[in-house]
Amino acid sequence: MPPAPSGEIVQLGIIGVLLLLLLFYGATMWMSVSISRKKENADDYMTAGNKIGFGVSAASMTATWIWASSMYASVTAGYTYGVSGPIHYGLWGALMILFIYPFGKRIRKVAPRAHTLAEVMYARHGRSSQLMLAGSNVLGSVISLTSNFIAGGAIIAMLSPLDFGAGILIIAAGVLMYTLWSGFRASVLTDFAQVMAMLGAAGIIIPAVFFLAGGPSMFAEGVAAGNVTPQQESFFSSDAFMNQGAPYIAAVLAYAIGNQTIAQRLFAVREDLIKPTFITATIGYGATVIGIGMLGVMALYLGVQPMGGDVNNLMPQMVGTYLPVALVALAFIMIIGSLSSTADSDLSALSSIVMTDIYGQSVGRKNVNPKLMLLIGRITMITATGLALYFATAKFNILDLLVFVGAMWGCLVFPVIASFYWKKVTNLAFSLAVVAALAIFLPVRFQLIPITGAWALLVEMLAIIGVGVVLGIMSFGFFGKRVAVIVGVVSILAVLPFGFGFLRDYETLSGSLVAYSVSFLVCYLLSFRSKQDFDFSTINKVTGDFDDETLTADEDIVLADAAAAGRSTSS
Amino acid sequence: MTALLTIYVLMWPVLVLGVLAAIARGFAKDAKEARDEGRMLI
Repeated sequence: MPPAPSGEIVQLGIIGVLLLLLLFYGATMWMSVSISRKKENADDYMTAGNKIGFGVSAASMTATWIWASSMYASVTAGYTYGVSGPIHYGLWGALMILFIYPFGKRIRKVAPRAHTLAEVMYARHGRSSQLMLAGSNVLGSVISLTSNFIAGGAIIAMLSPLDFGAGILIIAAGVLMYTLWSGFRASVLTDFAQVMAMLGAAGIIIPAVFFLAGGPSMFAEGVAAGNVTPQQESFFSSDAFMNQGAPYIAAVLAYAIGNQTIAQRLFAVREDLIKPTFITATIGYGATVIGIGMLGVMALYLGVQPMGGDVNNLMPQMVGTYLPVALVALAFIMIIGSLSSTADSDLSALSSIVMTDIYGQSVGRKNVNPKLMLLIGRITMITATGLALYFATAKFNILDLLVFVGAMWGCLVFPVIASFYWKKVTNLAFSLAVVAALAIFLPVRFQLIPITGAWALLVEMLAIIGVGVVLGIMSFGFFGKRVAVIVGVVSILAVLPFGFGFLRDYETLSGSLVAYSVSFLVCYLLSFRSKQDFDFSTINKVTGDFDDETLTADEDIVLADAAAAGRSTSS
Repeated sequence: MTALLTIYVLMWPVLVLGVLAAIARGFAKDAKEARDEGRMLI
């Protein structure tokens, strides 16, 4: 067992932090400039031509999904719930990517050259559905951006004499600088370097802290010292499942459907590479985030008290307490990499939504001015950065906002997915389902009406149906309608005996489940007798390129084939 | 239990490094294909 921590943590100093940031953002800026074009193409600025390869797309998907908050949250889960805590955070987060993959394939099939999910909803339903999805995407991305700036400001303030305000300004300027240059293309290319730094650092830091903090003996000594409860020692902790895992399972599909950063990569990757990309990102995210969560588990067994009583300080505290300065610098780069890769994705996502769903669809695809469209995209990035900086300094409660947005996305999941498969779903059904789900969710989640009496029974009934809806949708993606219906009904029947009188105590979980069930019920009831017989090929005709100078996928393949033929002839 | 917990903590960085290797190999392949075809990687 190493000497007990003195309470002091390793500092990198102003010069050390500034040099690391200069190195990090200098390298990303260099990468962005290296792929810049004299005349940027508006479509490529949003989707990089819809044909990026496996290495780039898997790196980008992994880097985008791992954000600084997920690392902090996993460490907190490990510290709070013990050995099963990081699993109940990271595993479900990873499955978000896996479960969206079959739907992703369907979305690409009906809209091969779209830019945003909201754009596809415009083609499927009309303006109100498009704006609902686009609005929720914008809100989610601004909140995510804010959260990443806060994480950056906090880590800089903790490991150097610079204050939080200076930290968020440096992070915001660094990310904006390289993303503004080449948009989504810069975002995905720099994601590769960032994911190498993040995964490499995680692979070194986790075992380093483990052995420098005492190695295997920390477990027996932690139990002997009374640092862990039986629940925290258990791999099957019901506390961890009900408070951490279950609400997360409910959010599995919501985040992947509602988050434009994932949709953007879905539209960018070559269509035949969607599956390996999503599977690699699932494993990469899960291993990294659960692995980092082990720092929280170690802190628990070691009896570490979070600095200032704030569990968010645990990760830098563990790193700064047990590691030498070189590894602290590596951990710093890991966190900066994770927050920058997600922040640049948010900026790209926001610019795509405004370029496509606000400007592009309002003037019509044929009337778009690509130069003006690019300018709008860049102005959007600058405005979003300013807004996120304002929110970061105003110290809004990010967790509350994230929960709100997550549940709002839960209201959209069934209507969005059904719209890609079921011809009968109408614009009215989509819009009313989302509004009704939101109207019921809000009072449940924030307990605006006390969950007692008849209201509690109604909420629990809806939550029980919500369990069936969530598991049914997950099954539908992989196994089709018949299995989905069976899984949904069996799940409802299984939860029915103990759901009443029980779910009312878990308002976060119940709120999310209610969002799913109400949106499902309203959407289904308004659609099943509808006479609409939507032709899905319409979507491909309505969505597509804005910039005339974009090569179509076929033209590009012809050019590549010609180049290959030329090489074989010359050889 | 100690051995189990040790494996549990250390298996994640091994997985992480495996994914890192897969992504790096994929990226190198993408870069080579782009170079051979005379186009930009992104």
